[in-house]
Amino acid sequence: MDTAGGGSAAAPATPPGAAAVRVRGLWKRFGEQIAVHGVDLDLPAGRFVGLVGPNGAGKTTTLSMITGLLRPDEGTVEVVGRDVWRDPADVKSRIGVLPEGLRLFERLSGRELLTFMGRLRGLPVAEVERRADELLDVLDLSAAQHKLVIDYSTGMRKKTGLATALLHNPEVLFLDEPFEGVDPVSAQTIRGVLERYTASGATVVFSSHVMELVESLCDWVAVMAAGRVRAHGPLAEVRGGAESLQEAFLRLVGAQGNPAGPRLEWLGGTA
Amino acid sequence: MIEGRALVVTFVRLKLALVRNGVRQSTGRSAAFVGTMAVVALFGVLGLLGLVALRGHGNAADVAVLLVALLALGWAFMPLFVGGADETLDPGRLAMLPLRPGALLVAQLAASLVGPGPLFTLLLVAGAVAAVAGGGAGIVVAVVAVALALLVCTTLARALATANARLLNSRRGRDLAILSGLVVAFGLQGINLGFSELAGDENGDFGVVATVADVVRWVPPATAIEAARAAGEGAWGTAALALAGTLAAWGLLLVWWGRALTRLMTAPDASTLRTPPDDGGRRARDLAWLPRGRTGTVMARTLRYAWRDPKSKMGWVTSLGMGLMLPVLFAAQGNASLYNACWVSGLLGILAYNQFGGDAGGFWLVALTISSPRDALIELRGRTLVIALIGVPYTCAVVVVSAAVFDDWGALPGALGLALTVLGALLGVGAVTSARLPYSVPQEGAMKNVAPGQTGQAWFGILGGTVAGGLLSAPVIALVVWLNASAEALTWTALPLGAAYGLLVAWLGLRVAAPMTAGRLPEMVGALSK
Repeated sequence: MDTAGGGSAAAPATPPGAAAVRVRGLWKRFGEQIAVHGVDLDLPAGRFVGLVGPNGAGKTTTLSMITGLLRPDEGTVEVVGRDVWRDPADVKSRIGVLPEGLRLFERLSGRELLTFMGRLRGLPVAEVERRADELLDVLDLSAAQHKLVIDYSTGMRKKTGLATALLHNPEVLFLDEPFEGVDPVSAQTIRGVLERYTASGATVVFSSHVMELVESLCDWVAVMAAGRVRAHGPLAEVRGGAESLQEAFLRLVGAQGNPAGPRLEWLGGTA
Repeated sequence: MIEGRALVVTFVRLKLALVRNGVRQSTGRSAAFVGTMAVVALFGVLGLLGLVALRGHGNAADVAVLLVALLALGWAFMPLFVGGADETLDPGRLAMLPLRPGALLVAQLAASLVGPGPLFTLLLVAGAVAAVAGGGAGIVVAVVAVALALLVCTTLARALATANARLLNSRRGRDLAILSGLVVAFGLQGINLGFSELAGDENGDFGVVATVADVVRWVPPATAIEAARAAGEGAWGTAALALAGTLAAWGLLLVWWGRALTRLMTAPDASTLRTPPDDGGRRARDLAWLPRGRTGTVMARTLRYAWRDPKSKMGWVTSLGMGLMLPVLFAAQGNASLYNACWVSGLLGILAYNQFGGDAGGFWLVALTISSPRDALIELRGRTLVIALIGVPYTCAVVVVSAAVFDDWGALPGALGLALTVLGALLGVGAVTSARLPYSVPQEGAMKNVAPGQTGQAWFGILGGTVAGGLLSAPVIALVVWLNASAEALTWTALPLGAAYGLLVAWLGLRVAAPMTAGRLPEMVGALSK
């Protein structure tokens, strides 16, 4: 098999207008709980796609099944036109993933981690070194590149994870809560790299529950709640008449304006 | 995509880098790591030499076979305790890479042969084979046997770890693993008892060992040693059979591992997603009999933690179990005495030495609610009461049952009085050490009961506390000795006097510790958050 993205530096082309991800009838149950409840979804290529929803909506489970990390109970997933579960290894070579929890090799330095991940993906050593240099530099990790990952801060870990996900120049990049626990400076750095990546035609799919972030970054969103897709489409379409995505989102997932209502009357700071 | 040899090379390099970086960590760790390597190499070489020296001895084959079986047992169970030590084997870190399960399996196997553990095993297995092998062609079989035994050991460990990875990575599984440390602790006591039985056998008879070895020699990977021995004696049929058995076992383990690995990479842990049974109401009622107010609240929390927190549970089970086991053990060794029951109260008293340790990073929640020495007193008293609540009846039961079994009712008042004194003294001292020398008890790791850097604090607390407890118990010890020697009619007074004295010391300890706790809250939060 060919080394995916091993050659040209230009972003790989998915036919314009085609779906980068095609999901049909996706189900996942954990015991009695249904985490993903028959999801159908087409995510357009070349876009910055946001997958939003409250905690427990099934975002992570869905992303895991799309990226070949969790076997679905039912349903099919195609990424760049290839069935993920027919040949997970093939699809994994064409995508980049920043998974939830982000387990890294803690006793490697950031630099070594990139080198090994590149080699494990079959990239030529010299090319790995060149790309690692640039990624570390752009992500502002050069100064810490010889520190062990175990000593990294959350922001540094996320940036390191992003670097490993980008190293092989994937066609689609999946990020699970990439900005969670990340300081504003690192967040801006990550943003810059992602914008640079999509500008060249690649697809980014990321999950988040920070609406402002999704609104400012994404041009296409899918809203999940209780294991189902409640709405999907271009940002403006999903937002509809609402003032902000936050507003539209709360309406979609059925949250009330003031959950306390007449309760909590005792709350007021005067004992 | 990367396949075959390149992947193996990358994995071995990865493992080497991880092992090497273990040295680089911090100075403490690096010393520990270098120390471990030196000890491993030293013991490995010593074992090798010892086994070579056994050559020609009548029981050499038995010893070699048993040793290799023990090694395999170690490989099977060690991952439980040092889980996650080998990151190259963690599918969670590799799942997003485009690697085929077959290629991954080979690469992981190669990586698992690198490190201090495999080195130690290699040395010992080589020694075991050297002790039994012989003859020109026997050498060839011996070399194959060493390689096979090592492969079976590492594959066994990987297969078991992978099959149990879901368990080990889930919260419940880790809790179980921590408790399983107890199995080993009690198992060691069992072995100890077994050996003392053996030692009691004046003839120095090797019969039992030989019998066990006769069975074990046909269990892989010990079969490899049997093959080497048989080949050395020219029994080619036996050698071929034993080698084939080892090979078959290895093959089966590989298949099992491969399946578990594929399953694991596509079905991560989801145990936290399960909905808990709705029994909140019942649980709340369970502890409704506790006193109201802060005392009851503290006691309820401590009792819940004793049940739910694996570290806390381990402490309790160890104290209760060992406290019961030691008197039995001493009796089995012909040292039956009612006073051995003091072990029970002593071990239970040790639970009080670091009352806040289990709170660890969560201690700030408690610290926020303590605004006066009185609050601190109630907090400490509640925790101490829980130990007394379980400890006092348990101690009484052990002493009474011992008295019945040894039929030595005369010694009961003295023994029980002394046991209660020891309990009271340790509870009092414990309150002070809890305030003065708190250390954090980490949640993870079965064998890690002290946060890094606080070992000195912990040992000082335990040793100092025990010495202080002993000194504080001295008056009652003197009283019991005196009563037994010269006033036997009055020995019954040891019970009320001992109990009252114990209560007094415990109360004094709490009174001393309370203002100390209230005054040292920031320091305690700091120490417990390590």
